[in-house]
Amino acid sequence: MEINFEHRHAAHCENGVVRNLLNFYGIKLSEPMVLGLGSGIFFSHMPFYRLHGMALTSFRYFPGSIFTRVTRALGIEVQWHKFKDPDKAMAKLDEVLAQGIPVGLRVGVYHLSYFPKEYRMHFNAHNLCVIGKEGDEYIVSDPIGMNKNRLSAENLKKVRFAQGTSPPEGRMYYIKSTEHYKPLTADMLYKATLKTCSGMLGIPFNMFGAKGIAYLAKRMRKWERLYGERGAAMNLAQVIRMLEEIGTGGAGFRFMYAAFLQEASEFLNKPEWNQLSMELTEVGDLWRDFSYHAARFFKKREGIILSYNDIADKLEVISARETEVFRKLENSIKRG
Amino acid sequence: MKVKDVPQDDEFLQPDGDVLLRDRTYALDDDGKYREIPSAGWAPKNEAIKFSWSNKSEEAQEIRKEVIAGKYSPIMYHMIRLLMTPRILADYTGLSKRKINKLCKPKHFASIKAEDLSHIADAMNISVEELTSID
Repeated sequence: MEINFEHRHAAHCENGVVRNLLNFYGIKLSEPMVLGLGSGIFFSHMPFYRLHGMALTSFRYFPGSIFTRVTRALGIEVQWHKFKDPDKAMAKLDEVLAQGIPVGLRVGVYHLSYFPKEYRMHFNAHNLCVIGKEGDEYIVSDPIGMNKNRLSAENLKKVRFAQGTSPPEGRMYYIKSTEHYKPLTADMLYKATLKTCSGMLGIPFNMFGAKGIAYLAKRMRKWERLYGERGAAMNLAQVIRMLEEIGTGGAGFRFMYAAFLQEASEFLNKPEWNQLSMELTEVGDLWRDFSYHAARFFKKREGIILSYNDIADKLEVISARETEVFRKLENSIKRG
Repeated sequence: MKVKDVPQDDEFLQPDGDVLLRDRTYALDDDGKYREIPSAGWAPKNEAIKFSWSNKSEEAQEIRKEVIAGKYSPIMYHMIRLLMTPRILADYTGLSKRKINKLCKPKHFASIKAEDLSHIADAMNISVEELTSID
């Protein structure tokens, strides 16, 4: 049994699943639009919240928030489930699938059999969509794959109950009804964008939002003293991985959000947003420049290798630029 | 970033080639419009990933020497090598963290139950034979 579901490749797993699920119900949105409407872009560096024993740096909101925000904005009813018992989790999945409903799952990538072994860390917030079952195999539409694929029931059960930092606990979600669906309006975009801006500018802790980038820079200057040479490089490697590893569309969602601003500027007929889009693209280029120089710590190539202080300086520039872009964006809405 | 600058540095072998995992990079074309370009990867990112793994394997090699010296059991070696921690192993196997820590010592490893051994091997996704040797 396979649901007639259009599999489309996307940059980010959650955006991709949300877009493909909406598409199944005839609601056409682009991936950047999903990111923008879900207020997905963010920054945080939390030394107390650890992944692989190192501080977590994140360029997005909590997993699941994009799905929740987009469907809420569009007035779509959704259903979430969470399980303790793996067998019940699989039975529920079969039950929903049998009704012809594609189901989104949150999984861990450590045991995911089609991932290259280098990508398999204890990262538990990957999303994929199950769209059918044949015998003991599930047909899976993973948005970061160009094609759909198959996964054994045993493997799927294992990845749904992965362990480690924030385990997925068999979470599944699907669209229940689109009865009260409201098409995209300017108001929705303004509201979502204001929310994004308040996340980037308005949280009164220095580790969140645009100023969080400066906070990361401050921490980075201390890394060699705190963790030694190898430990510092490990921490830096983790930042680069979160910034660029499959799923961010380049530069930790900055390019994708710039694409959203461009699309929104046409929708709203607001040319200044296109200008902001270009400014955010420049910030994305700065992030890429940062990654490029940071990677020299891991592979000694010819040319100058910068110190942690130098790349921290780059981050401070980025922090100031992002603050400026999101401040302008906020003002463009508030002052209309 | 410009469309022509989208990197295509493919370095990792994908176990299931049909899926064709790809990044998708958003880049500007010549008219200043955003386009979506599938990307096979980017060298700095790949280097960061390789660096994390080579560090882990160095660490594991040090542990391996200590396993040979009789200080740790093979479980410790595989745990480090496969990015596991006692906490995560305990969550996968249903054993307590304390028990896992105990099994990392040769004395307790000698009397390990076959059942526990297979649970741990299963959680690490390797065979029992692999788990009990350090080759």
